[in-house]
Amino acid sequence: MSSINNTKSFHLISSQKVSFTFDGKKLTGFKGDTIASALLRNNINLVGRSFKYHRPRGIYSCGIEEPNALVQIISEHNEPNARATVKRIYDGMIVESQNRWPSLKMDIGAVNNLLSPIFSAGFYYKTFMGPKGFWKKVYEPIIRKTAGLGKPPKEFRSKSTHHHHNVDVVIVGGGISGLIAALKFVKTNYDVLIIEQDSFLGGILNTSKKIKEINGLDTIEWIKKTEELISKSKNIKILKDTTVSSYNYSNHLIALEDKAVGSLPPNYKPELVLHKIRTQHTILANGYIERILSFRNNDLPGVMLAGSFEKFVHRYGVVPETNPIIFTNNSSTFSLLKSLIELNCKPSAYVDNREENSIEKSTLDYLKNNNIPFYTGAEVEGCDGRNIIREAFIRHKGNIIKLKTNMLCVSGGINPDVNLFTQSKGLIKWDDNLFTFKPDKAFQNTIVIGSASGNFNFQKLNDEIKNKLNFLKEVNDTKIEIISNVENDYKISEIWDIKPEKESLWSKSFIDIQNDVTVKDLRQAITEGFDRIEHLKRFTTNSMGTDQGKISSINSLGIVSKILNKSVSEVGTTIYRPPYAPLSFSAIAGRNTYEFYDPKRKTPIHSWHIDNNAVFEDVGQWKRPWYFKNKKGETMHQAVQRESKQLRESAGILDGSTLGKIEVKGKDALEFMNLMYTNAFTKMKPMTSRYVLMLGEDGMIKDDGIVSKINDQHFIATTTTGGAPKVLADMEEYAQTEWPHLEVYMNSITEQFSTFNISGPKSRAIMRKVFSNIDFSNEKFPFMTFNNFKYLDTEVRIMRASFTGELGYEIYISPKYALELWKKIFHSGKNLGLVPYGTETMHLLRAEKGYIVVGQDTDGTVTPIDLNLNWMIGKNKKDFIGKRSLSRSDTAREDRKQLVGILPLDKNKKILEGQHILEINKLPKKIETPIEYLGHVTSSYHSPNLKHFVAMALVKGGNKLMGKKVYVSDPSKSETIPVEIVNPVFLDPENKRLLS
Amino acid sequence: MLIINCPYCGERDQSEFSNGGQAHVVRPSDPEKLNDKEWSEYVFVRSNPKGIFFERWVHSHGCRKWFNAVRNTSTDEIIKTYKLNEKPPILAEFTNNLKTPSGEPELGSGNFTVKK
Repeated sequence: MSSINNTKSFHLISSQKVSFTFDGKKLTGFKGDTIASALLRNNINLVGRSFKYHRPRGIYSCGIEEPNALVQIISEHNEPNARATVKRIYDGMIVESQNRWPSLKMDIGAVNNLLSPIFSAGFYYKTFMGPKGFWKKVYEPIIRKTAGLGKPPKEFRSKSTHHHHNVDVVIVGGGISGLIAALKFVKTNYDVLIIEQDSFLGGILNTSKKIKEINGLDTIEWIKKTEELISKSKNIKILKDTTVSSYNYSNHLIALEDKAVGSLPPNYKPELVLHKIRTQHTILANGYIERILSFRNNDLPGVMLAGSFEKFVHRYGVVPETNPIIFTNNSSTFSLLKSLIELNCKPSAYVDNREENSIEKSTLDYLKNNNIPFYTGAEVEGCDGRNIIREAFIRHKGNIIKLKTNMLCVSGGINPDVNLFTQSKGLIKWDDNLFTFKPDKAFQNTIVIGSASGNFNFQKLNDEIKNKLNFLKEVNDTKIEIISNVENDYKISEIWDIKPEKESLWSKSFIDIQNDVTVKDLRQAITEGFDRIEHLKRFTTNSMGTDQGKISSINSLGIVSKILNKSVSEVGTTIYRPPYAPLSFSAIAGRNTYEFYDPKRKTPIHSWHIDNNAVFEDVGQWKRPWYFKNKKGETMHQAVQRESKQLRESAGILDGSTLGKIEVKGKDALEFMNLMYTNAFTKMKPMTSRYVLMLGEDGMIKDDGIVSKINDQHFIATTTTGGAPKVLADMEEYAQTEWPHLEVYMNSITEQFSTFNISGPKSRAIMRKVFSNIDFSNEKFPFMTFNNFKYLDTEVRIMRASFTGELGYEIYISPKYALELWKKIFHSGKNLGLVPYGTETMHLLRAEKGYIVVGQDTDGTVTPIDLNLNWMIGKNKKDFIGKRSLSRSDTAREDRKQLVGILPLDKNKKILEGQHILEINKLPKKIETPIEYLGHVTSSYHSPNLKHFVAMALVKGGNKLMGKKVYVSDPSKSETIPVEIVNPVFLDPENKRLLS
Repeated sequence: MLIINCPYCGERDQSEFSNGGQAHVVRPSDPEKLNDKEWSEYVFVRSNPKGIFFERWVHSHGCRKWFNAVRNTSTDEIIKTYKLNEKPPILAEFTNNLKTPSGEPELGSGNFTVKK
């Protein structure tokens, strides 16, 4: 007894052979086969080992709901957990089974099965409690190695892309209901999208023999005619091999299309397409899913869902076993029985849990006429076998009947697939006749039809669809006459799990096959108090994993309801969340990977920086030189000390092109700037600049920069590199929402100008060499003034400003001329000791001078008063953003944290950013109550010019503590460092250098 | 994800917009005249109702224009959008449906069956 090909199957392409390997063994299947159907054709039933107990597992289903047959596709960058029942084979495909070592048949991990009595629900939580630190270092690595599914894939670049749709109607599912619904829209004004997960339309018409004829045509013939009709209608688009994975708010659906079905994904084009769909109405015709029954060893290879068995027969043309036993509790399996008999295969037994009087007469007659042994009011108590089922035990009228078999087809009933409906936030309702949940109240514009709505009667299908789509204007009337092969009514008996004849510690009836959850685990969890369904799920891992318990979650509700003696609707369901089926991260990422996800912004001088051994720092998306390596082996510390020293001795040049620049223009620009910034701009002379602060309405510092006033109607503001977008957005917000009466316009000009900062005592000499026609004398070009000058055939704006405390100039030039000018300056300055420097040196130099960096010395809780920047506040202005907050009782407090300088008393001591400042000099050995701390160090650098550390700190009431001796703590040591609180300006407090 | 109807550009994807919190909170014209409590209410206090809410949005990756919207916070449905200079609608115009999609009670949240 073994598998045979069903030559009558429309889908069997036996002329085209495909060879692939499974666990190193070369196998042959046919074109269109899934890995599962090809394995069954080769009589391979054992395909994997289970998650926890390493039990042998086979193929349980024939579709997306598969819990067991998960494989690793080696030929596709090691793709793990591929469902063998979905993934199609192609020539040269390499497939491996998962979670076994050394081999699938001989798996060492199977010892877990022997130890299973201790691996019960909550085992991990209870067992691996201590000692402290063991979880991270010992337990977790071991568990990760032994438990789990496939191995992670090797690195690869995503080859997926995203498509967007905006339609009137989406039909999910191209089965019989979906097709009838689609016919209603043929040649109408509705834009319609049909989404089918298989490569063929027709659904159940392809996978079973439940329906004989539609409108007098053979089912395959009818599908062909209907598809032709739909395809010709220009308003309808069909997506095949596409699975809807989520149904979000405002009728937004996400579907994944596999472009490479049945072939090795090509290197040059996308293998996956993620469809983002907007629709007015969604018609869910996504059918039903068959569920399991729990009995002893119901996970053995050879146990398969009855409907899936039938799908293999018709959809893939393989009869997995010629003489299986069928075990059912409902009428849906009659069609499998008929299919087998018509292929001259005789089931070795038909076990129906229903009593004889509630089984359809036609079924009973058929069983009798074909001489099939059948048992009514019976159940399969369990089965036995090693790596495959060998015998089944049937409990009938109190007796146990032992039957030899290679396959057991199980059906525990069918459930409308309500996953997408509940994702859309629709409410579901328990049906006491169907023993399942079905859609009740839709939350969005959702219409559920066919078996997805709980209508299992084909005769009623056309009327149902007609009634439900009636509200849509101008849809076609359809006449559909269906002749079915089976009874139209669906009847089922309530049965969830079957008591084993002999209970032992090792006997197992699985409820969640993928996660190795048994009925016993559910019972135990409830005993331990986890009797709410959401708790129960987390505690036992029931209905988790890649299949999300598609074939068993309703069963667990049934079992729990019986244990708790409640109705199933009282027990409720866990929440169904997207995705409906596993979705690869690369599909979600689409083209937004690597440099496309986060662009690198480079200044026009970037290539020069690389040539001169710059080490880069990421500032937002910008690449900024951090420091320049002078020679091989120079460390960052050495480089920064060298750059800092040389700048103060001669001169340095910094690429400041990343600074945010905003141009503000308009009749009321002056008034607007006065409101946005703390500074007063009214009395400021044209062509001068000012250091500025921008506050939030709460009075806290948000950004700083330099504002240059060209005239009262035209300003240019610079911002911090990272703050530019936010500052522009805030300006825009206030201009539009609070002061729409002001005529003012603003735009970013960050990338329109390259900026260089040249500073140091020799900078004037260098500037004179480069711009020989400009007078750089103190009289003609004083501090904080600027002017535009002709340069080649463009203009250059030069400003006298400085962030280092030295004499300095800022040059603004069009990026087109930037690199050339930079090289010219560098060439001119080389003999004068001009050094290129990076952001680290910039930070060091400004710290020597006591200049702050927003975001480093401030953190959103710091006012200008806290920084002793009162001189920057235009107190005479009637209003500006944050002004009123500066006089709030909390911001006006004198004991707020204030910015001070920190000077180590021992000049050799190191001070680090983030260290706490304490009043006590010794930390207690054992800390019992929190230690009072005064504040923390915000900036700290070793100054090569002063030969000791210079640090800034925010200290409670710091202004009043000048000259006081306090201590800086080092949490990694018990040592504290004695320091003095000083003025944060360490260098040139008289500004002699700055104004020289 | 929502579709938002920008009054200047038309219907666009939510990802193009940023939310700006409660609408129609007017910045006091003379902040100095307010006492600490009054000022702090303007700066810090915003309402957060369940149901109909008037709020501000900006088409940040589009026309950069600010506008107002009426949103039902319990269903996340944007009912109406209007320009800043348009007269604000009155609350009574809208049916204030507090029912959440999963049928939770009007106040509080959580799994309905668990609550019972």
